Amino acid sequence: MSNAVAPPNKFGTRGKAWVAALSGLVLVGLVAWAYQLSQGLIVTGMDNVFSWGLYIMLFVFFVGLSAGGLIISSVPKFFHSDRYDSIAALGVLVSFACIVVAGLLILPDLGRPTRVVGFFLSPDFRSPMVWDFAIVVLYGLFCAVYFWLLTRRDLAARGSRLAFGVQDTEAGRQRDRKLSFWAAAIAIPLAVALHSVTGWIFALQIGRGSWFSPLVAPMFIMKALVSGLALMLVTAILADRFTRFKLSTELVSELGKVLGVFVAVHIVYLVGAERLPHAWAANFDFWTITSGFLVGDTVSFWLWTVVGGVIPLALLIVPSLRTRVWAVFTASVFAIIGILFEGVNLIFTGYTELNIGAAPGVTTGTEYSGIGSNIWSTVGVYTPTVIELLVSLGLVAFGALILTLGLRYFPAFPGSALGEEARPQSTGDTTAADGGEVRTDGGTDE
Amino acid sequence: MTNYGMVIDQERCIGCHSCAVACKDENNVSMGQAWNRILTTGGENIDTPAGEYPVDGGDGTLSMQYQPTACQHCENAPCVKVCPVNATYTREDGIVEIDYDKCMGCRYCMAACPYNARVFNYDKPETTAPKGTGNVEQRERGVVEKCTFCSHRLDEGLDPACTIACPSSARIFGDLDDPDSAVSRYVKQYETTQLLEDLETDPNTYYIRGEMSPGRNHLGNEMESELDEPPKRRNAEPGVPATDGGEEQ
Repeated sequence: MSNAVAPPNKFGTRGKAWVAALSGLVLVGLVAWAYQLSQGLIVTGMDNVFSWGLYIMLFVFFVGLSAGGLIISSVPKFFHSDRYDSIAALGVLVSFACIVVAGLLILPDLGRPTRVVGFFLSPDFRSPMVWDFAIVVLYGLFCAVYFWLLTRRDLAARGSRLAFGVQDTEAGRQRDRKLSFWAAAIAIPLAVALHSVTGWIFALQIGRGSWFSPLVAPMFIMKALVSGLALMLVTAILADRFTRFKLSTELVSELGKVLGVFVAVHIVYLVGAERLPHAWAANFDFWTITSGFLVGDTVSFWLWTVVGGVIPLALLIVPSLRTRVWAVFTASVFAIIGILFEGVNLIFTGYTELNIGAAPGVTTGTEYSGIGSNIWSTVGVYTPTVIELLVSLGLVAFGALILTLGLRYFPAFPGSALGEEARPQSTGDTTAADGGEVRTDGGTDE
Repeated sequence: MTNYGMVIDQERCIGCHSCAVACKDENNVSMGQAWNRILTTGGENIDTPAGEYPVDGGDGTLSMQYQPTACQHCENAPCVKVCPVNATYTREDGIVEIDYDKCMGCRYCMAACPYNARVFNYDKPETTAPKGTGNVEQRERGVVEKCTFCSHRLDEGLDPACTIACPSSARIFGDLDDPDSAVSRYVKQYETTQLLEDLETDPNTYYIRGEMSPGRNHLGNEMESELDEPPKRRNAEPGVPATDGGEEQ
């Protein structure tokens, strides 16, 4: 068995440059955050009316992204299938990286990050944010352990210290299979809980009419499936391109099909189901009802439904297109962008209008610059500042760094699957730059 | 049990913003922030009415009202329920207050509050008097703050700053659990509404619209409950003697 596992690869020049670039971005993000800490949240685009901005939009987005990998690896395992085994560990690693980014995105949003200990010292269990804090931490830890469980025998085979004394034995691998079934059995409800609870942060707020909807939680689950699977596909295709990992094209089109179904349920069904009742109740004429629920009036709405919905759907629905990697890749990227703007749209619908919009409105808390300054506003407006973008970019780079280093030091692409003959390693690809593993059997997913 | 509440008589309110200024002064509220806002319900802008002046075919529907708006001190306060670290809490006397030491500045409460009553210190608080004004310590940058019903004044038996600042006695403060208090009697006697009633937050702030009340029933700074004499309560109906503060009529 052990000889089927490739030793860890050193980073090539490109790999090193990639890691250096990411580290640079992380550093820039840290400096930007330090600046924000020294100046206060005044350096962000948020104010008293629009009091959550880019950090929360991205938090929602990354929580969603973290779904895909875990679902892809755990659902088949739960049904005792090894269909997606070749990308299972990669998926869990992606999930882990995303949930770490999501969790960290909360920190720069806080006015006084040191007081975050209050989650432990004086939690209020009525607060959906306490539920979310618990589930994000749990999910993150679970992903880490699950990833280790999926790779530990290969780590041992490789002689890595990261195996922490685990031996690579046949019986051990057998037992890990059983364990990963149980892990999958935990992973599925955990993922459902994570996305629902994150949705409930918004959906329980009666004070924000457009958030207060029972459909928000199912919507969050669906968009997590869309963006998560799309990210999974993007990562796998990129890994195929830039590491020695080989991804089978059948797998791409198969997952593309699943993605198409997810997108359809999300954009076509759920969005329609959410909007129809209001449109129907508010209008009389058939065509005004129809346009009332099919047409949006914000840029983020169109980015979400057209870029994130119609285009990917068109690419994925045509069988001859679906088999092409570029089509699935494009569809995935568009779906991810769409879901990003779904989150943006969600925050905007919550903050643009005030419940009590009478003049002069609400003090913004950010506009005072002397006598005569207009500190009032009756409508929420928001544009992220450079600082917010830099901090966010730094955190995203941190996630990419976790992913890259994870691929470098862990055998995320199993060299062999249990019970199958180890096939000869491909050794030709010496130009592979970063730390992907050789995938020796193209057959695990069949 | 005490359950503090406020009745604001919109028929008495003249839109002078004295209460807003008094609040800002007493509570050391930073420039660019307001805990207490006097909204104009009517036209598009402050101090403008809705409707038309009765000339040139106008239907003479001009109408305008002032709606002083601060924290409503809800019984079912969404902000209290969402605060993850218990920084916002409801006191035994019904006041929704913030423990500034616990607040981590996540602004979830601002997302939850339907009234936009809360402000956040994005910047270091700034007051015209460098040392600040009033009797409340300046809050730090990075915390959320709002109206406290001047709980520091209540501790000394004084009515909130806005209440005594009102030149037309439009603000009445007191104990909603005491059936003889002015607030309790006014809530019962006049047409009162709570803001955004359908959200079922059940605010402890009531607004009188329609028939004007006699307003606050004494002139001193002290709270009604602190008065030695049975308060000489003005009664709305002329000819009916003032109540003696004893049993409910």
